[in-house]
Amino acid sequence: MPKPKVASDWMAGCAGCHMSLLDIDERIIQIAELVDIRATPITDLKHADESGVDVGILEGAINNTANEEQARLMRDRCKILVALGDCAVFGGVPAMRNFFTIEESLRRAYIETESTDSSGMIPNDPELCVPTRVRAIHEVVPVDIFVPGCPPDADAIFYVLSELAHGRMPQLKENNLLHWH
Amino acid sequence: MVNITIDEKKVQVPEGTTVLRAAEQAEIHIPTLCDHPALTPFGGCRLCLVEVQGARTLQTSCTLPVTENMVVTTDNDRIREARKFVLTLLFSERNHFCPYCQVSGGDCELQNAAYEQDMTHWPLQPNWKTFDVDASHEYFILEQSRCILCRRCVRACGELVGNFTLGVEERGADSSIVADLGTPLGESSCISCGVCVQVCPTGALIDRRSAYLGHDVELDKTETICVGCSVGCGIEVYSRDNHLVRIEGNWDATVNRGVLCKTGRYLPLDAENQDRVYTPMVRKDGKLKAATWNDAIKTIADQFKKSPKSAAMVPTRLPAESLHLFKQLFKDQLQAATVTSIEEGLNTKLPTQLAAELGSPFEGALEEIEKSDCVLVLGADLAKDHEVVGFFIKRILPLGMELIWAGSDNNAFEQQAHQVLKPKAESYADLLQALNAALVDKPCAEFAKNAGVEESAVKKAAQMLSKANFPAIVYGEDLLKNASMNTLKALVELGHLSGTIGEQRNALVSVKGKANSMAAAQYGLDQPFNISDEQAVFIALGDDCPSQKLIKRLEKAPFLVVQASYSSQLTAQADVVLPVENWAEQDGSYLNLEGQLQNAVKSMPAPEGVLSNAAVFEKLAAALGYKLDSTGWKDNLLKQIPVSAILD
Repeated sequence: MPKPKVASDWMAGCAGCHMSLLDIDERIIQIAELVDIRATPITDLKHADESGVDVGILEGAINNTANEEQARLMRDRCKILVALGDCAVFGGVPAMRNFFTIEESLRRAYIETESTDSSGMIPNDPELCVPTRVRAIHEVVPVDIFVPGCPPDADAIFYVLSELAHGRMPQLKENNLLHWH
Repeated sequence: MVNITIDEKKVQVPEGTTVLRAAEQAEIHIPTLCDHPALTPFGGCRLCLVEVQGARTLQTSCTLPVTENMVVTTDNDRIREARKFVLTLLFSERNHFCPYCQVSGGDCELQNAAYEQDMTHWPLQPNWKTFDVDASHEYFILEQSRCILCRRCVRACGELVGNFTLGVEERGADSSIVADLGTPLGESSCISCGVCVQVCPTGALIDRRSAYLGHDVELDKTETICVGCSVGCGIEVYSRDNHLVRIEGNWDATVNRGVLCKTGRYLPLDAENQDRVYTPMVRKDGKLKAATWNDAIKTIADQFKKSPKSAAMVPTRLPAESLHLFKQLFKDQLQAATVTSIEEGLNTKLPTQLAAELGSPFEGALEEIEKSDCVLVLGADLAKDHEVVGFFIKRILPLGMELIWAGSDNNAFEQQAHQVLKPKAESYADLLQALNAALVDKPCAEFAKNAGVEESAVKKAAQMLSKANFPAIVYGEDLLKNASMNTLKALVELGHLSGTIGEQRNALVSVKGKANSMAAAQYGLDQPFNISDEQAVFIALGDDCPSQKLIKRLEKAPFLVVQASYSSQLTAQADVVLPVENWAEQDGSYLNLEGQLQNAVKSMPAPEGVLSNAAVFEKLAAALGYKLDSTGWKDNLLKQIPVSAILD
């Protein structure tokens, strides 16, 4: 059996879930031996192979049109899509923005910030992506596996990755959910 | 008895039992959120849905009474699907952001319930509506976003505490928990008992002190009793790394069955903000200087040996074992002129004398109050002290209990009373005689006049008492303050005439003072503390806070020893200061107001070099050449006739 191909990407998140991959400690070697790691935000290859990967992992919520494209691209190119962490699962910290209008958020960020002087302005270059309401990944594309946690527990991450590496679907059930969170 | 089948298990339960409780009896788990064993069923969260054979829809097991031959299924695909849907609605109704919530990760009943149903996410997003946060309260915060409207807090406030501060305003998705009629919690009628926080299943009621200090599994839990007053409520002390984190009421404790007041739940936590005494100190050249235990004890022993007249005082917060050693040391051995407790017998001396005269205990049990249909409160401020007794009374008011309140001060209970009697100062005896006369249809006008109370009010109160099937009387400090033996005898007569004291039951209770008020009385530590020319005074303050009156009275003491856990004005004026354990660091026995002998269990280690009160008494006795008996404390408790029967 060829090694399963794994790609990952991050969107509106803090990169913490990717960093928490390291929390699995020496077990990362087992994973590295079992899978073929392809595109990730910290490798040269940024987009999952056009020919497709077995597992796509997405961290972060979807808060603009660029994130939408990232999510769609990953969904198109992977067989199993994993939403990793609370932002990916339900919106997480970025989703707190939804209590305000986009206009209010932009004004706060680019004009009213304490360190901004009178030259502050909301970027309006047509090349830029457009901010949207913050959404969980499953609101934009279908998700196969949800791994909640902020960040998810190292044991949960390892369990999910090692099951996928062995070609099995991880079962996040009552006991391990209670144990991990 | 009714026979029912739950998950193919046959169960027999009394009629009126709900399916949920029947399942519990059969050790079958049904998930719940709004249910709480101490509260009446509500049926609000719908998580406990079960399938009943023959019923068209799923039923809430918490509100469904069993019927003969009922067949119930608690777990199948249809039920799990329904439960998941219920949880999805609960999660999406408000803004449940688990990552930032203090109970997330094991202590949240909502999160745990979702994990139990294998939920890793919920398919409906919230509608991003904002909800209020009420941070006006000193001890807790109400975060509406995390509220699931289970109304446990509302029910606890009314049913358990009888305070009825919390309620619900608006309807449907706009419903929210409010205090009074929408008053900020901190300005409301809330009495800070914290029972609502203890029953909240989510993080909606945030305990300011313990939030984020650790999940329950990371904390050490000790079951012990509260030493805040003579009620002796069962508590659970949560601590971490020798720090007090939280105190909760023990649902299994017979005295309080879970409820607790501000004095029990929150005030002990403030102790950590006080300055602790860590080392013995002896005054040299006008200044208190650190000393060894041996030097400090020797200084005290020398001084007491050469003082022909001395005095000693002990708080009634100490365990019976310590009180007994104290009494042996200062009263039996040293024969000091005055040996007493901080209460000076105010709450116990007269009743104890009466018990001796009557030849038997004359007070009854606390649980009788809750079975009463008419309660007379006489000179006891239950809104200030012994609050839990007040809860017992307030919470049966809605059941039709009639409350007669008699006292000279203004009091929160007055507004709820059906009849108020306000005797003039020092005229409880007249009031009691008036009531007694009215109860036997004799003229009471003269007595009423002497008491400064309307005759009609006395007659009405007497009528309420005589009409009642199960009257109860609770009396306290204000009555005893200037009472004579005749006052107390009139009270007992009232007890008999009204049926409060009968052959089957006795519902006459005095609230007494601090935790070991009655034990101190049994050891005879109930004299007035009148000092004049004493050369040496020993104040075993423990973790008590000295009153300004006491500080003033001791200003002129030529040689003052203060044995204390914390620095105070009193330790500052002492000649020798001895550091001792506080309530959480000691084991010992306590006699509560109804005579129950209970055990306090040490929940934290004492700081290095700090001794127990008992150990200090023993050290001092050894230095004085005395031998103390540390075993006879229990026998000596029973040496004189107690006010209420001692139950071990």
